[in-house]
Amino acid sequence: MTAAIVWQRRRAAAAGVWREFAANRGGLAGLVILAVIVLLAVLAPVITDPSGLDVTNAPGRPLQPPSGRFPLGTDIDGRSVLLLTLWGARVSLLVGFAATILSVLIGTIVGIAAGHFGRWVAGILLRLTDFFLVLPSLVLAIALSTVLPQGIATIILAVGVTSWPTTARLVRAQTLTIESRPYIERAKALGGGHLHIVGKHVLPGVLPLVLANTTLVVGNSIIAESTLSFLGLGDPSAVSWGSMLQRALSSGAVTGGAWWYLLPPGLAIVVIVLCFTLVGRALETVVNPRLKGHS
Amino acid sequence: MTDTLAAAELIDPDERPGRTGTARFLLGKLGGAVTSLLLVAALGFLLFRLIPGDPVSTLTKDRPTSPEQIADLRARLGVDKPLWQQFLDYVGGLARGDLGTSFGYNRPVADLIAERFWPTLLLVGTATLLAVTIGLWLGVRAAWRRGSAFDRTQTGIALTLWSVPQFWLGLLLLIATHGLFPSGGMRSPDAGPGFFAQAGTIAYHLVLPCVTLLAVLYAQYMLVMRSSLLGEMDAEYLTTARAKGLRDDLVRRRHAVPNALLPTVTLVFLQFGMVVSGTVTVETVFSWPGLGLLTYEALRVPDLPLLQGVFLVLAGSVIVMNLIAEVLYRVLDPRVRAR
Amino acid sequence: MSPLLELKNLGVTYRTGSGEIEAVRDVHLRLEPGDTLGVAGESGSGKSTVAMSVLRLLPKSARVSGEILLDGEDVTTMRWGRLRAVRWAEASIVFQGAMHALNPVRRIGAQIAEPIRLHAEKPLSEAEVGARVADLLDQVDLPVARAGAYPHELSGGQKQRVMIAMALACRPRLIIADEPTTALDVIVQAQVLDLVSRLVAEQRLGLVMISHDLSVLAATCARIAVMYQGEVVEEGPGKELMAAPKHEHTRALAAAFPTVGDPVSRFAPATSTPLPPEPETPPAPDVLLAARDLRVSYGTLHAVAGVDLEVRRNEIVALVGQSGSGKTTLARTLLGLQKPTSGQVLFEGTPLTARGLKAYRRQVQLVLQDPASALNPRHTVYEAVAEGPRIHGLPGDERQIVIDALESAELRPAERFLSRLPHELSGGQRQRVVIAGALALRPSVLVADEPVASLDASVRGEILGLLLRLRRELGLAGLVITHDLGLAWNIADRVAVMYRGELVEVGTVEEVLLTPAHDYTKALLAALPGATEPAEK
Repeated sequence: MTAAIVWQRRRAAAAGVWREFAANRGGLAGLVILAVIVLLAVLAPVITDPSGLDVTNAPGRPLQPPSGRFPLGTDIDGRSVLLLTLWGARVSLLVGFAATILSVLIGTIVGIAAGHFGRWVAGILLRLTDFFLVLPSLVLAIALSTVLPQGIATIILAVGVTSWPTTARLVRAQTLTIESRPYIERAKALGGGHLHIVGKHVLPGVLPLVLANTTLVVGNSIIAESTLSFLGLGDPSAVSWGSMLQRALSSGAVTGGAWWYLLPPGLAIVVIVLCFTLVGRALETVVNPRLKGHS
Repeated sequence: MTDTLAAAELIDPDERPGRTGTARFLLGKLGGAVTSLLLVAALGFLLFRLIPGDPVSTLTKDRPTSPEQIADLRARLGVDKPLWQQFLDYVGGLARGDLGTSFGYNRPVADLIAERFWPTLLLVGTATLLAVTIGLWLGVRAAWRRGSAFDRTQTGIALTLWSVPQFWLGLLLLIATHGLFPSGGMRSPDAGPGFFAQAGTIAYHLVLPCVTLLAVLYAQYMLVMRSSLLGEMDAEYLTTARAKGLRDDLVRRRHAVPNALLPTVTLVFLQFGMVVSGTVTVETVFSWPGLGLLTYEALRVPDLPLLQGVFLVLAGSVIVMNLIAEVLYRVLDPRVRAR
Repeated sequence: MSPLLELKNLGVTYRTGSGEIEAVRDVHLRLEPGDTLGVAGESGSGKSTVAMSVLRLLPKSARVSGEILLDGEDVTTMRWGRLRAVRWAEASIVFQGAMHALNPVRRIGAQIAEPIRLHAEKPLSEAEVGARVADLLDQVDLPVARAGAYPHELSGGQKQRVMIAMALACRPRLIIADEPTTALDVIVQAQVLDLVSRLVAEQRLGLVMISHDLSVLAATCARIAVMYQGEVVEEGPGKELMAAPKHEHTRALAAAFPTVGDPVSRFAPATSTPLPPEPETPPAPDVLLAARDLRVSYGTLHAVAGVDLEVRRNEIVALVGQSGSGKTTLARTLLGLQKPTSGQVLFEGTPLTARGLKAYRRQVQLVLQDPASALNPRHTVYEAVAEGPRIHGLPGDERQIVIDALESAELRPAERFLSRLPHELSGGQRQRVVIAGALALRPSVLVADEPVASLDASVRGEILGLLLRLRRELGLAGLVITHDLGLAWNIADRVAVMYRGELVEVGTVEEVLLTPAHDYTKALLAALPGATEPAEK
């Protein structure tokens, strides 16, 4: 029966969080748009014909302006920009999510460890975090992608291992805040060990913040992916928004004034990153009531 | 008899100002920075030897080469020696300011970097200065009138710009201005040799890359300043200031902003790594002959010694900037100074 | 001549997300020039709202009705320019907790000088302002050289002196002091109160002092008004009000700060369920918890410098001292939360080792100062109380253990509280949950660190009564850490006085508090507001 009480509590709490989140119009709009984009990306193979992506089998002439047949015009190879943008979402989202998971995982573990264990463990981890925090992450990612074989996995790794320090810092700060609360002292006095303190008090206290932070990291990861692809470090066989823009510049389409080739992938990045940012900020306000009215 | 218990002795030990010397603080920070620099050096070495296979085969991928040529190249690059020997050579070289020889340019990496350093400094310096000024000003105004139309539009714009990939914004500006500004390079070949003619052409070429960099940077500074000031808005010392009869703008200028500025200053410096990332893409888009473009050129080849050199210099400069930030923070904040 | 300050039918409501909250209603107060008025009340009684409304410093969500006449002029209808001119020049405020009320990054000299320049009729020269600041610092007994200091370089008492100097800067006729001594130690509090009384008398100032502590007000103010739930429930001359409180709430407030030496309050904290008189059984001689030459040092700082202390079965020991005396460090060391630098902690004669720590913790449990933060806000009462039994894998029905513990802590009926979250409980209920969490392990000693310091006066007696009953019924021994001598008088058998890491005096409550031997104990007793000199016997 106590399990039922706990369960009921959790549900009520979730409903409360949702109500608070939904009160933030920006966050709600972001969430809806994101859902639509993710749905489109997942359904791309169903609602479109992937054969149009084949360079050798392009349906149109190169760099056609928007028309009835190609609502967003064609690229340098004569493929539909609309189709490319739709399929590009798949790679961008995949890399964004995967890199975020990697980064948040490392960051959370390092952050909690650095906050919970004192002295030399924290010393070493903090030194390491600060080191990676100040390293220009793009330069490091460039270096990594140059020396590792080209491909999506490399990009995920490069983005993931360079973006964790901010999460680690944040989680450590939150861990320290929680650890300074008297209820941790009480749990210790009750006889709780490290596992109990971290598992029952620290982790549940840190997770909401991590969740809010995660949505912000996804946005950054998507930008990082597009930047690396733009610099020609992406998977040459996969269509992503970054690689589309790279082609647009290197083929001279931009200087030629082919705005329809440039706008869709770029706008797609802006919209998706903005949505993640809005959702993340809305979640932050829910998680951290001190911020209420700040966003 | 209370004299024996003079008030000064009853100060809580936690509240008593510390007496840690500035020298000790500086030494500690300097030690940290030197450790970081050494780590960067080690990372630079390891990273560029992680390469699966062999740099020589990467280098000669598309060219017909004889075994003799390969052996010669191996000897020239030093990759025929054992790893520890290579590391010693590398560290020795670094100490002498020798960053190796570029594959692509066939020139010392250090010379190339020295050449490309000043254009980057000009671009980054101008953009950062403008971004900090505009960002802080807008951030203060937005926070002070939280929830107003000004706040909402400015925050909206900043959030949008913050979501924009810099290189795309650059490309967009290129198309939108359509020949109004030069699309690349740092000076026109037909500009006169005089100082003013040179300064003019450089400034003209600087506009677009600078605006691109500025747009994203300012947004970040504004958002940081805004939330930092919002954090101070409920502080009790502001009530004291109001109770004293101060005008609203004096409360803001004299009391709220100086307190909110401190965390912002550190963040400005901490985010310097992002500025560096920005230069790589922006310089690439506008062919601005700086370190960013050099990075791009190096990674097209791929020119490993050059890439390694650029990595070392960029990472090193970020570490140095952070050292400056920490020292500056101590100068600015009396609370940290006493600790 | 019009009164200095007159509140007529003052009402304040706050607009919040969940409707309007009436914080203050129907308040009439009057203060003649040179008069002193104390406003007493618990947290949430509206006393601070009244103080802030005088200079219109309430947040934007507040709506004020009625009249606030400052020297006959209504503050509520003043134009902004006039209001700014009135602020600080006619009435100034000494804020609660000077720690945050001073700008942390400006020198205190500049902060004192700010209103002087602002309200000067003609521009002042640097030298004139400097001289005035020096004069003000001198008035509050601070060395003039401290003008160059930053707030964090000053002690709590010094910061409060700076606030007072600042309040006097423009020679106002009215000073409003909002809990001016709350965060301060007894001795410093006495010094600051002396200073305020002296300055008010010398300069013929009007004073409105807000406090939760009736004895503080009685020591400083001629008249006292008691506020309860937004209304003034009783008003009168301080001495009369203290001697014969009429309203029930005034009685609760007065009883919360018992007079040391008054036999009525010995072993009888103010509680709604009066305790039967203490049985005349001396505490059992067997020692449960003991410290032997215990030392804890942080670098050169000796927080605990060689302490010997015993807690026997069936006995409550009060450990008294002010902040920084090392009493909390001592408690943490006794609980095994802090490693001693040297010396031993013994339980039933056995030295405490790292290996035996977990078993030890079943015997010696902790009650913390602030129950609001001592409970994980995400855990229900059930989870909070069951936490200890789960850690130790206690046999038996968990639910029954939890319910028994809650019943022992007098949360009845226990079932009603199981699924509550901490924020749905009152302060007193939360503290009972913390105590129940400790009781669930069936310990033999409770170490309570300032168990009532953050509770309202009316709840204080209830919790102290509970501790006494637990001792009576379960034979639970207690070590109560406190800065409050009245608390020791209320419930303790023995007192240990701690000063700079050492126990300077240990003995029965009557011995130590009525015939103190050490200078420090005497100083503590003398500093009690309104207390007469310790009885000479």
